[in-house]
Amino acid sequence: MSVTVMAGQRTAHNVARRRLSRGALYVFLTVLALIFLWPLLYAAYTSLRPYGEVVANPNGFFSTPATLNLNNYFFVWNGGNYPQFYLNTALITIPAVILTLWISSMVAFTISRFNWGFNMLVLMIFTAGNLLPPQVIIVPLYRLYNLIPVPAPLSDNGLMYDQIIGLILIHTTFQTGFCSFVLSNYMKTLSKELVEAAMIDGAGVFTIYARVIMPLVRPALAALGTLLFVWIYNDFFWSVMLFKSGDKRPITAALNNLQGTFFTDPTVVAAGSLMAAIPTIVLYLILQRYFISGLTLGSAKG
Amino acid sequence: MDSQVTRREVLKKGLIGAAGLTVLPSVIAACSTSSATTAPTAAAATQAPAATPTPNANILTGKLTLGNNHSDASDLKGVNAINDAFKALTTLAVTTNTVDHNTFQDQINNYLGATPDDVFFWFSGYRMRFFADKGLATAIDDTWAKVSSNFTAGFANAVVGNDKKVYGIPVDYYPWCVFYRKTLFADKKYTIPATWDDLITLCKKMQTDGLTPIAFSDKDGWPAMGTFDILNLRMNGYDFHVGLMTGAQKWTDPKVTAVFQKWATLIPFYTHGYAGLTWQQACDTLVRKTAGLFFLGLFMTGEVATVDATASADIDFFPFPFMGNSFDAEQALDAPIDIAMISAKSPNLAADLVNAKAYMEFWAKGSTQLLMYQANNGFIPTASDADTTKFDVLTQKAVQIVSKAQKITQFLDRDTRPDFAGANAMQSFLLNFLNAPTQDLAKLQASIQAFWDALPVYAGN
Repeated sequence: MSVTVMAGQRTAHNVARRRLSRGALYVFLTVLALIFLWPLLYAAYTSLRPYGEVVANPNGFFSTPATLNLNNYFFVWNGGNYPQFYLNTALITIPAVILTLWISSMVAFTISRFNWGFNMLVLMIFTAGNLLPPQVIIVPLYRLYNLIPVPAPLSDNGLMYDQIIGLILIHTTFQTGFCSFVLSNYMKTLSKELVEAAMIDGAGVFTIYARVIMPLVRPALAALGTLLFVWIYNDFFWSVMLFKSGDKRPITAALNNLQGTFFTDPTVVAAGSLMAAIPTIVLYLILQRYFISGLTLGSAKG
Repeated sequence: MDSQVTRREVLKKGLIGAAGLTVLPSVIAACSTSSATTAPTAAAATQAPAATPTPNANILTGKLTLGNNHSDASDLKGVNAINDAFKALTTLAVTTNTVDHNTFQDQINNYLGATPDDVFFWFSGYRMRFFADKGLATAIDDTWAKVSSNFTAGFANAVVGNDKKVYGIPVDYYPWCVFYRKTLFADKKYTIPATWDDLITLCKKMQTDGLTPIAFSDKDGWPAMGTFDILNLRMNGYDFHVGLMTGAQKWTDPKVTAVFQKWATLIPFYTHGYAGLTWQQACDTLVRKTAGLFFLGLFMTGEVATVDATASADIDFFPFPFMGNSFDAEQALDAPIDIAMISAKSPNLAADLVNAKAYMEFWAKGSTQLLMYQANNGFIPTASDADTTKFDVLTQKAVQIVSKAQKITQFLDRDTRPDFAGANAMQSFLLNFLNAPTQDLAKLQASIQAFWDALPVYAGN
């Protein structure tokens, strides 16, 4: 009897302790989340305030608001020509993601399904290329882009430089290595019997690629697609270096438009930055399952 | 479990939002394809040089592209108004490539060396000569011959390259002066300081009145250069200053020591923590009347108007006080000039050159420059035939001060080579001085001179 009482006390004690630690955990996590969100929330708060009011207040950006409105967002959308820049980003990012996945899936398929002696070497070259920082090759690349002729519908100046096609290709080039690596590892986990069965049924190489392997790697493609979208969307370097036309640049580079010659309105910049961040945030919320699986993709060989 | 359900709901809502997003680009695409197809400029290269001048009209055919760094909303409006006027006159539509001012500047080397636009906006002085020497700009002596009577000698000198050819049309400028609020001066019965001693007396008085005597900031790196320029001009004169900028004079010269020593007496009157302040923040203290004086370019009126439109009419300025020496007569000051130039490597230039020169000629008119001024009164016209009755009070005053000046300099970062003016060079040397004004100046000056000596040899100058 005394044992049961003791047990009861202990469980009550345990429950209380667990609640306490649970509570502490929540407090800790909330504080951590707030620290992480602080810059974002602060930018959101700043973006809702008129600049004149911020400056008039002796506490500046730390003051409490008298007016909160969306005027800065309207200004950015209309005055900052944002629709155009969103479109530019889409024209670069979407083809680049599709092209990268297409090419790297073919590379991965070849490497993982056929053995011609130097598979490993090819894969290593692809991956090693990925380790090269893009800044290293910018000068030769810039010169090359000014020499490579590109015919009319794809280029309005006959060159690779200052063209959307040029940006799509450089993104594809830089991302293909990593994607090939990940996809080939993923394809190696698929059972060989599937391919053998297809071959016995008389399927050619392309049929096996298109109708057997590709449907099976869809989860990997979704995960990689999400990662690629975020990476390419966030690119700033290439778009500043390889474009001279202001109206062709993607949204990340166009953010600079909100900085004046002498005068910069930080509330407008805050609004513009948040608007530029929205597509990636939305995409992450929708596809976060793939995003997380993408981070561990191909890490374990089956 | 509960949290799982709510997350799914969030996801669902997100999906609906995403569906909206995927529709949006196609709608935008539908709207903008037409404008995108009109943009290509390569076609002009294949056309015969089209602009055969017709005997009795200004009609121009063919194309013209413009690299525009006037990206602020108001400035862009001015450029568009001018292009509209040019089109009305010549029927030629200018294809404008607007790039934000800072990026344009960062990219200028790449830009001019690759496929630049026919005409572009840039800065006079060393920065113009630098690219002219590199063969990246086209000389426009024939155009200049037609319009030179419309410019004073100061402006004319600013567009001549090292080879004595003309490379640009001056389109606007702004002077550096000391700004103050009229009502503050009236309330406290301050008077405008004419000499250095007056200035120090005034600063001390302001300090006892609880004001920051001089609003100062140097987070941007360049504001301190303005003060160095004016002190050097006032104490050592124009010739020494220009010599210093181009390497003919040494930074170890005792005259430079004297400038730094003089400057050190001013620093106790500066805003506290100026190294971390942007010029806009310093300007705001003047607007709020917590600071009494502010030495900057006339463009600061733009910040004032944004912060507190009622304060705009209350802003006034005076030239930096004089030292009471032989250089007072020069009345020198920094008044940076912006210019329009013709590139050399534009792929269409052969076909567009006539148009480009006509466009340059158009920019040399007072009526054209006035359109820019009306969009943003920071752009003071350079052309002598500009209708000054259309100027506001401050601009008229600025014009008066500049016209009295016997010598005009551009600004430290426009008067010297770019690799000497940059963030790791003069900007950091000046910040170094400002952080420790009482340091061993000889050592600082020696390090500046050593930096200059270590720069790669550049043929021009």
